Amino acid sequence: MAVFVLFSCRGHSTKLDKIRSSREELRTIRRTGYERGQVPTENEGIKHVNTKKWAIGITTMLALSTVLAGCGAANNAAGGKTATGGNTTGGKGGTFKVGLVTDTGGLNDHSFNHLADVGLTNAEKQLGVQGEVVQSQSANDYVPNLTRFARNGDNLVIAVGYLMEQAVEQVAKEYPNTKFLIIDDAITDRPNVASAIFKTEQCGYLVGAMAGLMEKDKSIKGINSQNVLGVVGGQQIPPVTSYIAGFIEGAKKVDPGVNVIVKYANSFTDQAAGQQLAQSEISQGADIIFPVAGGTGNGAIDAAKAAGVYAIGVDANQNYLAPNTVVTSALKAVDTATFDVIKQAQAGDFKSGVQYFDLANNGVGIAPPISAVPQSIVDQVNQLKQQIQSGQITVSANMPQ
Amino acid sequence: MTVLANPQLWAGTLSLAVPLAFPAIGGTFSERTGVVNIAMEGIMLVGAFFAVACSHWTGSAWLGLLAAMAAGGLVSWVFAWAAIRIAADQVVLGMAINFFGAGITAFLLNTIFGYNGTPTTTPSLPMVTIPALAHVPVLGWFFHQQSILVYLMLAVVIASHWFLFHTRLGLRMRAVGENPLAADTLGLNVWRLRYTGVIIGGILSAVGGAYLSIGILNSFDVNMTNGRGYIALAAMIFGKWTPFGSFGAALLFGFASSLGNALQGNQVPTDLLAMLPYALTILALAGLVGRSTAPAADGIPYLPNR
Repeated sequence: MAVFVLFSCRGHSTKLDKIRSSREELRTIRRTGYERGQVPTENEGIKHVNTKKWAIGITTMLALSTVLAGCGAANNAAGGKTATGGNTTGGKGGTFKVGLVTDTGGLNDHSFNHLADVGLTNAEKQLGVQGEVVQSQSANDYVPNLTRFARNGDNLVIAVGYLMEQAVEQVAKEYPNTKFLIIDDAITDRPNVASAIFKTEQCGYLVGAMAGLMEKDKSIKGINSQNVLGVVGGQQIPPVTSYIAGFIEGAKKVDPGVNVIVKYANSFTDQAAGQQLAQSEISQGADIIFPVAGGTGNGAIDAAKAAGVYAIGVDANQNYLAPNTVVTSALKAVDTATFDVIKQAQAGDFKSGVQYFDLANNGVGIAPPISAVPQSIVDQVNQLKQQIQSGQITVSANMPQ
Repeated sequence: MTVLANPQLWAGTLSLAVPLAFPAIGGTFSERTGVVNIAMEGIMLVGAFFAVACSHWTGSAWLGLLAAMAAGGLVSWVFAWAAIRIAADQVVLGMAINFFGAGITAFLLNTIFGYNGTPTTTPSLPMVTIPALAHVPVLGWFFHQQSILVYLMLAVVIASHWFLFHTRLGLRMRAVGENPLAADTLGLNVWRLRYTGVIIGGILSAVGGAYLSIGILNSFDVNMTNGRGYIALAAMIFGKWTPFGSFGAALLFGFASSLGNALQGNQVPTDLLAMLPYALTILALAGLVGRSTAPAADGIPYLPNR
């Protein structure tokens, strides 16, 4: 028996050696890479099928990571205020749930999306509501994002921005028991939709008047001999043009001969375009630039700073972007409006239809001017403010033809 | 005429050409070695973000620029690996990188800097006016108060042309883009040359992104490239896959944008003017410049044993 085993082992050993050596060879070939002219072995053929799978896998992973990145942003946006899930009915007995959908500008637009989130955060702190935020990456996300919150049982869904009008109309019809708030757009025909409209032509008018008065005072450092103001708009849509219409009306009121150059970037995120447009206006003699363009406006403020001229902030107090350049800001209190509507809805007195936010209820306003603006000008602007509040002056939201 | 005599029009032309020329030349490097590269947009965004982030962290815009180049190189290395080693579809892969770039930068911006964006104290690269040039008529208009990267771009255009068409390595890179099998037979390492091309391309694209974030500004915003990576792609094709051609096309697109900016506010519809660069692209590709032929092996993965 033992002899047989020994024998068979010996007999096999030569075979094994052969197999071993041929494996070695294969390994060497693999290690050294493909040798030219070598016919691929079956194994390698299989390997190539695998590479295709690999390729698909990698591509999918990359695509997924993007989606995840988006989710990460959304979760982060919620800042620990993610939905608990399970509670699909919400409302009675449970916490009051609020979903906020930004438009493509995103939460870091330094502007109205950001302010809406501030309003929601305040409501969470002060009213104990449960908030959740999702940022839309493209216009195609509006309907799914709104639907997600409505289906999730959120009591109030907030859509930030005029660009979401169609999406809100559609989703509000499908979910009649959910309350919706749209900012910057008037939807009047749905009993479950409230609209917040800001009379930004009023604050535009005031900063326009301030710019016009500064333009007449050549003693102010940085004001040139030409009577030109520059406006950089994001897109030609009502929430932008209402500011600009007010700005032009206010500037012409105090300085009838002023030339206001208006240029549009056709983007709310292209800072380089904002910078170029502002430079173009500055080269045409503008010495105060008023950007109404979200993120694009930051580039315009940068250009004003670099050229040693002035700028006026928009929506939020943007003085921090360039403290000696941004003389004041036209304010749009999206944060208080958001907070107010959440409060109403939570208390059970949600009002559908349009709610106006203007100078009289501090829905719009202007930021405290920097010291480069003479006190006499500030006084005159304050006077105009009172005249608008009392109804002596009405400002049109439509662009002059 | 007053519009054409405005120096800002010409300074704007050059300034707007930079973020197109860098990625266009980068794409040229990649495609000349045979790898279709439509990932410039995503790589630009990654470059733009890391330029600002590292510029802020280190306090030096130059280190920010280096970080952008490193980040761009890294992303394009992943792209190269997938495109070359595992023979993934290069167009699909490029799109994936673009979405990845947009997503990851938005995520990092919000996570690291929060919603107030990048700090306003971030240093940016210096602006330069060369006195000798400033007083030359017309030419001086172009070079008024430009970022240092504008001068770097001119150097890169010339250096790339010399490299691709007058050095042995350049010849080899072009060879693997035309006929990799022949190049391989002659003993060239096809994969290594392709890696080189793609990674140089990624580094240059990232510099283009850094120009937007720390060259002319000092901040990053989500999707701030606004499609320039795709226009650069058109500039590359328009320029017939050559550095000088790409630069010329970038200048033309820059001029169209700058002219659009200058004419706005003069009763010309803004949407029409915004369309100008794109209309030019279509005209150009429809045969204004003659046939532009891609490198023969462009987009075909090289698997030596098939």
